[in-house]
Amino acid sequence: MKKKSIRKLTRIEGDGQVELIRENGIVTDARFVISEGVRLFEALLAGRSFHEVPDMVCRICSICSTVHKVAALEAVEEAFGCMVSRQSAILRELAVNGGVIESHALHLYFLALPDYLGVAGFQEMATTAPELLQRGARIKKCGNLIQEIAGGRAVHPFNLVIGGTGSSPRKDSLLSLEDELESVIEDATSAPEIFQAGNDRFPELPVFPFFAVKGESRLSGDTVGLSTGELMTAASFRSWLGESAQEGSCAKVCNFGNSGIFVTGPSARRGIENMLDETSSPRDLSDDRKSPRQTVSPYLFNLHRAIELQQSLDRALMLVRLLLEEGIHEEKALRLAPRKSEVTKVIEAPRGTLLHHYEFDRDGVCICADITTPTAMNQAAVGISLRKLVQGMAGAGYGEIRSGCERLVRCFDPCLSCAVH
Amino acid sequence: MKRERVAIAGLTGCSGCQLTLLDCEDELPLLLKNADFDYFPMASSGIALKGEYDAALVEGCLSTQEGLKLLRNLREKSRLLVAFGACAVSGGVTAIRNDVPREELSRIVYGGDAVPGGGFEPAPLASAVKVDFDITGCPPEKADILEFFAGLSAGVLPIPARTFVCADCRARENICLLAEKGELCLGVLTRGGCNARCPSMNVPCEGCRGVAEETNFAEAMAIFSANGFSADRISEKGGRFFREFLHEKKEYQKTDPD
Repeated sequence: MKKKSIRKLTRIEGDGQVELIRENGIVTDARFVISEGVRLFEALLAGRSFHEVPDMVCRICSICSTVHKVAALEAVEEAFGCMVSRQSAILRELAVNGGVIESHALHLYFLALPDYLGVAGFQEMATTAPELLQRGARIKKCGNLIQEIAGGRAVHPFNLVIGGTGSSPRKDSLLSLEDELESVIEDATSAPEIFQAGNDRFPELPVFPFFAVKGESRLSGDTVGLSTGELMTAASFRSWLGESAQEGSCAKVCNFGNSGIFVTGPSARRGIENMLDETSSPRDLSDDRKSPRQTVSPYLFNLHRAIELQQSLDRALMLVRLLLEEGIHEEKALRLAPRKSEVTKVIEAPRGTLLHHYEFDRDGVCICADITTPTAMNQAAVGISLRKLVQGMAGAGYGEIRSGCERLVRCFDPCLSCAVH
Repeated sequence: MKRERVAIAGLTGCSGCQLTLLDCEDELPLLLKNADFDYFPMASSGIALKGEYDAALVEGCLSTQEGLKLLRNLREKSRLLVAFGACAVSGGVTAIRNDVPREELSRIVYGGDAVPGGGFEPAPLASAVKVDFDITGCPPEKADILEFFAGLSAGVLPIPARTFVCADCRARENICLLAEKGELCLGVLTRGGCNARCPSMNVPCEGCRGVAEETNFAEAMAIFSANGFSADRISEKGGRFFREFLHEKKEYQKTDPD
């Protein structure tokens, strides 16, 4: 007899479940169910003025609010032919890095680490591993501080506005941020070591081809690089990135034509960066570059997230020093003149590639919005990984399989508010 | 000292209110000394509601059957039920097109006729259960959250801010964005207590804390009108977070001699 048992996922953003299928008491299959309530953001945006779009879309998700805002700002500005100042561009990149630091620190130290330590959550860590929790909290706080200085607030940053920034940060805030970053970089040195552990506890999982934005600043651009070596333009996304509603999930599932299932996220970014570097500079051969057909494994997601946490801290420090070196100027945000336009931007969010597509009429009213998020892109890979995990754990008890499945979903750091939006 | 049993739950929303609680990195150790977060699925395993709670903070709007079930369950088990953030207080940004049937909106996004997950029009928590206290804002200010927990330990509820964002802004001696820069700033209508966070950085108030108590709407509309902004523009902007801005517009138009 077939029986389904569903349990709410914890220590992730939003509402989702893992559904286990049991036949005669034995777990035979697993499914990832996204049940977050639909908010229909794309329909809410239709008919609103371009002025409102960035403020509204950042409300899709709190953890990713900065990157949603920047994606929408860049889209609106490109649509109406505006280039923001160098200082604004640096502040935005700084804010996006702050978002990555906050999100990765939250995931690694608050949400994932309890899996490694065998505790229920951060409250237990406060008594069993207080030093580790405090270290994570310091890193997370620094990510927030960056977003506050550049964006005015850690959640739903308001200082990043169409045409530039509301106000420029003060020199003394940047100087204290520089100090803070220097000390937090120390805190993060042990991150890869912590999150390297525990990978041998799982059976073999599928590996995936991957993709990430290929851009000047590492986080945003107009082109997506695939692990197959192909380059895709953001503007042609409908030709390579499909998205369709799926029975039983509130989030659309992405597909990549006939190319199979791809993943996006920190491991993908690392893979694409290494590939791009191949021609320009000789580097040591890391493991993920040895295989001829490049793939990434969910086992390594947290490790790569930890390495990226360090890279984002370094990058943020570099940007802060650049701002200090070049001097802070008071600037006025540029005013835009709307025109009929269609635009697509891709940017790397903490969880992977984020795509914003808009169409505006001649008055700048949004007539179509289409947002594709990393968790929707990864949804198919999560499903296949779960199925393979259940097969690999045949013979194990129900509880063990359930916690294995939940832990595996967490490796993808899914953001379900983003996935559904 | 008695430790408070607290439940933190999220319905339909962005998790920004729960995240703002987790963003109180400096204060978390002290909070954990005084309160047990016995139900907090976003941050901790354990999904069963057990026993009674001193307080339940519920984020997000009400839009699904599952959410309604959880909310009623929390209400029954909790001494204080708190609407945590703009969506819980008013329905929030998700409710801005409640005048259009959900099937129609869903068709734009998903194509088919059925709304995924079913559900209903986004609504404030108070539409289904008795709410004891509002922590407003999108997102709420950390100080508002910490003040609530301080009060909980002491057995009192905080007194909600009765000032306007405008008053906070004057106190900081900011240049008026509405009168002096011609920008659509909603500070004259919006509940204060945020220390004029946005206008202080030269960004107009978007009304995310809702309409202040004792608002003289007619007077405020006269100020907006004198600066070239119509009632439509005001309700369009403020109505993104709080239906009251729309309601007030209707009330205002009723008595509008024009």
